[in-house]
Amino acid sequence: MPSTPPLSRGKWVSRVSVDTHLPLLTQRLRGIEAIKPGGNMVFLRNWDLFRKRERPAVLQAYEAGPWPDPRSHWRDASYVVLDVETSGLDPRHDVLLAIGLVGIEGGRIRLDTCWRTLVRPPEGFLVDASSIRIHNLTRAEVAEAPTFDAVLPSLIDHLARRILVVHVSQVDVGFLNRALRTNYGGRLAGPIIDTARLAMRIHDRAQILGEIAHEQPAPTIQLRALATSMGLPVYGEHDALNDALTTAQLFLAQAMRLDPKGNLSIKSLLRSGGV
Amino acid sequence: MEEITSFLTSYPPFDQLPPQAVARSARGMQIEYFTAGQTILEFGGAPAKFLYVVRKGGVDLLRETGSEIEIFDTLGPGEAFGYPSLIRDQAPAVTVRAHTETLAYLLPSELFHRLREENPAFHRFFAAVAFDRLGFALKVRQDRADPALFQTRLGDLVRRSLMVISPDATVREAAQLMSKEGISCLLVDLPPIGVLDHNTGIITDRDLRNRVLAAGLPADTLVREVMTAPALSLSADSLAFEGLLLMLERGIHHLPISEQGVVVGMVTNTDILRRQSRSPVFLPRQVDRATGLDELRNYTDQVAMTVSGLLDAGARVADIGRVVAVAHDALHRRLLRDIEMELGSPPAPYAWIVLGSEGRLEQTLRTDQDNALIYADDAPPGAPAYFRTLAHMMVERLVACGFPRCPGDVMATNPQWCQPLASWQAMFRRWIDVPEEEALLRSSIFFDYRQLYGDLDAEAGLRPVIARTQGNTIFLARLARAALRATPPLTFFRSVALDDERIDLKTRGTAMVVDLARLFALEAGRSETGTLSRLQASWPTASVSQPAAEGLADAFELLSLLRLRHQQHQVARGEEPTNLVVFPQLSPLERRELKESLQIIARIQRSVAMTYQTGRLG
Repeated sequence: MPSTPPLSRGKWVSRVSVDTHLPLLTQRLRGIEAIKPGGNMVFLRNWDLFRKRERPAVLQAYEAGPWPDPRSHWRDASYVVLDVETSGLDPRHDVLLAIGLVGIEGGRIRLDTCWRTLVRPPEGFLVDASSIRIHNLTRAEVAEAPTFDAVLPSLIDHLARRILVVHVSQVDVGFLNRALRTNYGGRLAGPIIDTARLAMRIHDRAQILGEIAHEQPAPTIQLRALATSMGLPVYGEHDALNDALTTAQLFLAQAMRLDPKGNLSIKSLLRSGGV
Repeated sequence: MEEITSFLTSYPPFDQLPPQAVARSARGMQIEYFTAGQTILEFGGAPAKFLYVVRKGGVDLLRETGSEIEIFDTLGPGEAFGYPSLIRDQAPAVTVRAHTETLAYLLPSELFHRLREENPAFHRFFAAVAFDRLGFALKVRQDRADPALFQTRLGDLVRRSLMVISPDATVREAAQLMSKEGISCLLVDLPPIGVLDHNTGIITDRDLRNRVLAAGLPADTLVREVMTAPALSLSADSLAFEGLLLMLERGIHHLPISEQGVVVGMVTNTDILRRQSRSPVFLPRQVDRATGLDELRNYTDQVAMTVSGLLDAGARVADIGRVVAVAHDALHRRLLRDIEMELGSPPAPYAWIVLGSEGRLEQTLRTDQDNALIYADDAPPGAPAYFRTLAHMMVERLVACGFPRCPGDVMATNPQWCQPLASWQAMFRRWIDVPEEEALLRSSIFFDYRQLYGDLDAEAGLRPVIARTQGNTIFLARLARAALRATPPLTFFRSVALDDERIDLKTRGTAMVVDLARLFALEAGRSETGTLSRLQASWPTASVSQPAAEGLADAFELLSLLRLRHQQHQVARGEEPTNLVVFPQLSPLERRELKESLQIIARIQRSVAMTYQTGRLG
């Protein structure tokens, strides 16, 4: 499927059966995006069949999942909501500077799982002055931060076995994958939900059901504006953790809206906002 | 995260916690989102595992009464729920449902319990009984009151040793003792010396001047002939402010202080007022010194300033009412005396009566006139004309001094309210024997009468008639139904987002307590007119329990305070004081107190409706 955009990963179903029954196969076919129930495998791409160095054990364990059962209710899954600050918007040229994330368990945001770290840019990389104005991270600050290598174990620990939730996933997921690939030849493995995509889907659905006027414009994609329009409080600006928190609230509100009968499965949620 | 801590600290009880405790709570919190209509806690369901704090949106608290489901409270941002179930680890006693999309902060039970253990203020805030919480809120206010007046005990003010003289000494000996000791007052007593009994009196330097020298009595006059006995006295643990009020009301300057029935010292008004510049004591004095009406024109403004000062100092509303009454009463007496001088002595004894809030000693910043006149039945033929003229002059002068006319024309100038005693007795009898709800609504303020001036004993003439209310179930039931006409605007809290965000603190607040207290007092056959004294006096015999009466008294105090403060701010901004407050402009604490006060009123109204079966009346 050559037309698939690099970060869109088609329909994710389950890796559990593969990981349990075919460990060797999974190991070899890390390009696999989705395996239909019954073992029907679909190749999506194979760009990382070669790797630069041995993937660390944490990453291998992470890739092994298991991931939440798509048939279960969305509240029963664990989620990790992530936001990153970067030196710019192009994953090929810019780098990660900060990562913030917060977990959701049982349909509730767990502030005790809040995690935030700065990331030291690669040797010789100069953070553009214009971007400092946005993220407020100075060169001195990030120069003293731990390297991506040092951050990796904690980061992976937070991501493991959880559905990843991000707002406008291209940027955040792009940067993370770029970092994982260039450093270890790995990539994000689990299901991903994009709250911006969910917002569009909720809007479309409301239009189809006639709940909102046809001419009403699509919702803004901007996180803060979107949260505010849903009556949600927003937390401090351009800080990876605060934005992750705002995203987490947005996600809960969206999921609750999509679940008026209390029977929304992870599968349906992914159909609406999965990446 | 700072948003969460700053949100929490702007609402009680988190505002009472040390910053690190709030930060710790915030770090351990969870956030949950509820859609409109979603049940969060269910009556009889699983016990709450969290303390829920509304962050955005609102929830309804529902209670099942028989087959009906009733919303009895609505909570908004900053308000907490789930704690009764959380504290007792029992099934929730109410159902909590989001009435709009709601975001809540959830404090896990172990953190909640730890905060309760570590912080008494936090613990008390979640006391299970709303009555206790209101009482506590009042106590906190009083603890913050001006220490000079509201925390000092009279015993602390006793400085000089007490000098005692025998009633059989001469006034010369008394004067010699006073000048030798440099004091202005002596205790007069027979053995057992100092034990407060009917023999215990006082003699002051004023007595020597006014009752001896001015009266032309000789120096060997006995003290017992000019002393004041038995003397008024207060116990050493009374508040300084109580002493001040007693002195003010009785026009005295010295007060013996006793401990367990034994006089331990003397306190003078200057002892109490040493640190007070804008003292209420000066108001009556100013009235007496004024040479004419012109000097009294801004009198109500000065009373308002005094009220404002007392409010800032943390005085209780009932005390402020007493101060205002002393000040207003002094003015009334002065004006009536002047008018009598101009018109000549009255042809018959009469009583000048004030009604409504003035009758209840509850007038505050702005009071319309509510007055009436009662004259003796055997008055000569010219008497009605005399009293009509007197009433017109009095009402005019009160207007000049800053008391607007009564819009309902309840004034002595109205012939209906200027009548001989027998007509008044007939009116009361008719109100009581043939109670019509509409008439009761209008006449209720007449049951709150107070005589300010005149030689006719109105109380002796009217009280026996009014005592017929006791046990008169038909009258009481009608009065109860009239009292239940206004209901607390509890549903109001649901619609704070709507246009009308104002609430009338009088008609949907204090007036409801006034009506209930009047009902209980008439049921119990009590003659008190003040709302708080009525509540206190009537619970032993009336159909209201002591906790309910006390809860109602606290609610009255808080609603009155809220109203007074609101009016104080309006006056300070140069506006006309009103009873309307804009709900969103109240502080979170005020909102909560307002709501809890209204809930207590609603609860007692419900029980009154049951007691009197007001629903069954035709």
